[in-house]
Amino acid sequence: MTVALHLAPAAGGPVIPNFGGASNCVVQNHQFCMSWFTHNFNSVFKPALIQHIELTAIAVGCGMAIAFAAAIFAYKQSWFGTPFSLLSAFLYTIPSLALFELLVQVTGINRFTAEIGLVSYTLLILFRNTLTGLQGVPPAVIEASRAMGYTPRQTLFRVEIPLATPAIMAGVRIATVTTISLATVAAYIGAGGLGKLIFDAIQSGFKTEFVAAGAMAIALAIIADILLVLIQRAITPWSRHRVQTF
Amino acid sequence: MVKRYPGRDRPAVEGLSFAVAPGEICVLIGPSGCGKTTALKMVNRLISISDGDITIDGQNVRSLGLTQLRRGIGYVFQQIGLFPHMSVEHNIGSVPRLLGWSKTRIRERASELLELVGLDPVGDLKRYPGEFSGGQQQRIGVARAMAADPQIMLMDEPFGAIDPIARDRLQNDFLRLHRQVRKTVIFVTHDIDEALKMGDKIAIMRDGQLVQLATADELLAAPADEFVARFVGEDRGLKRLRVRSVRDLELDPAVSGDAAVTSLMTDTSLHTALSSMLAEGLTQINVVDEDGRPIGSVRFDAIARLVAPPETAAAAPAAAESSSR
Repeated sequence: MTVALHLAPAAGGPVIPNFGGASNCVVQNHQFCMSWFTHNFNSVFKPALIQHIELTAIAVGCGMAIAFAAAIFAYKQSWFGTPFSLLSAFLYTIPSLALFELLVQVTGINRFTAEIGLVSYTLLILFRNTLTGLQGVPPAVIEASRAMGYTPRQTLFRVEIPLATPAIMAGVRIATVTTISLATVAAYIGAGGLGKLIFDAIQSGFKTEFVAAGAMAIALAIIADILLVLIQRAITPWSRHRVQTF
Repeated sequence: MVKRYPGRDRPAVEGLSFAVAPGEICVLIGPSGCGKTTALKMVNRLISISDGDITIDGQNVRSLGLTQLRRGIGYVFQQIGLFPHMSVEHNIGSVPRLLGWSKTRIRERASELLELVGLDPVGDLKRYPGEFSGGQQQRIGVARAMAADPQIMLMDEPFGAIDPIARDRLQNDFLRLHRQVRKTVIFVTHDIDEALKMGDKIAIMRDGQLVQLATADELLAAPADEFVARFVGEDRGLKRLRVRSVRDLELDPAVSGDAAVTSLMTDTSLHTALSSMLAEGLTQINVVDEDGRPIGSVRFDAIARLVAPPETAAAAPAAAESSSR
């Protein structure tokens, strides 16, 4: 093992970082010091937030690319569904710290390693939701497209995938929220982001940094989820109307 | 245009062979499992043809590319299968888009078709299928099938899942539409009344084979065998009245008095004519033209004579003479 985690505060009490002249709140290490937070937002929190967003976007993006391709393949070749589902479920069950620790031995302490771990956790939900969405396309709609002379490819891209979009987007929402939360753990192997601030704060015992970074991770998850809902509504305006199928 | 169908598909459809003339509605009917839907789907090759040929205008459907063949044939089926994620305009424009029509042309066509099937040609364009009732959805389905102006339409129990009142309206509207556009239609149903109403020609099938191919009137007058007779129903005498209209009769001179209380048009079915007589207690009713002027009258025994088998018809006049009141 190449990395050791020191969760206990350093001997001699909390180490209060000295970002300029420390206020009374900071010196006494209150739960949350607003002035310190606003004062250090641009230098400390904003870069970490941006890094966190990148980390999440890359993980969900790559996860989606892999899961999407796998789901379409499984949709066309049904034998493929079970093995890929089992593999992604297996990956999902590995405790995150253990997975990161394992990966570090192969690819080292860096963001790439963190992304591998994060991507592997998105696969299960993205794969299953995409496949379920595709399989849920009403047979009558597919028959209609065949009968009208859509090629199999046109049916896939113009009918089946659009109709699977609500299910796919539901998967993306869950995967995004999960990844935002998991990405904080990935700071353990050098991924950076809000998790790094949390780890730093745990080590130093500085509460304001800990509370602020944690709250920002939560806020990011909520905002991302809301944005995804809005996007889904925008791209599937039809989904609010149910269509009778006989 | 002539189509021949010696299609052969396992025992599902065997030795089936018939031709449909251009502009004709040919109904395939029979008990479930008789192969009528299979036969229909072999035309656009949703089901492959095992043996035999289907030709359209002399061209074998097997020699055409699948997509090319299907884009040239309208298809309407019971489950409708509208694309829920596309607006009505896009649904109707499905095939035209595949054929590369311009957006403006597709919109105009969609609008024109909506009007033709009895929907709002402007307001309904941008709505989604989920906002419509089953009957309205099937109207859109019919419009979609006709979008690229195919010469042939395949209809697989198109009104089967629609409530009886809406179904009746759809049937009437489709017949009216058909008179305007004159597509060649192959229409599958299991409902004999629908078949009699819609079909210029009716093909009765059993166990994958053709039992009788005839007009509604011929079918009711002379069923080929016991099976057909049972299939068309015990009341085929009455049903025949539905497929004949006042214009099939030689009219008697118009009368005044009681007979003038109600009147019939030349396109009134004999079934309705008879019903009016029974309801009014009359044996003779006047027939009027479009402006309401009497042009003649229909007598009870004239209706009976038309429906009766030839030998009885010859004997009927003497007995019937005295029945008018």
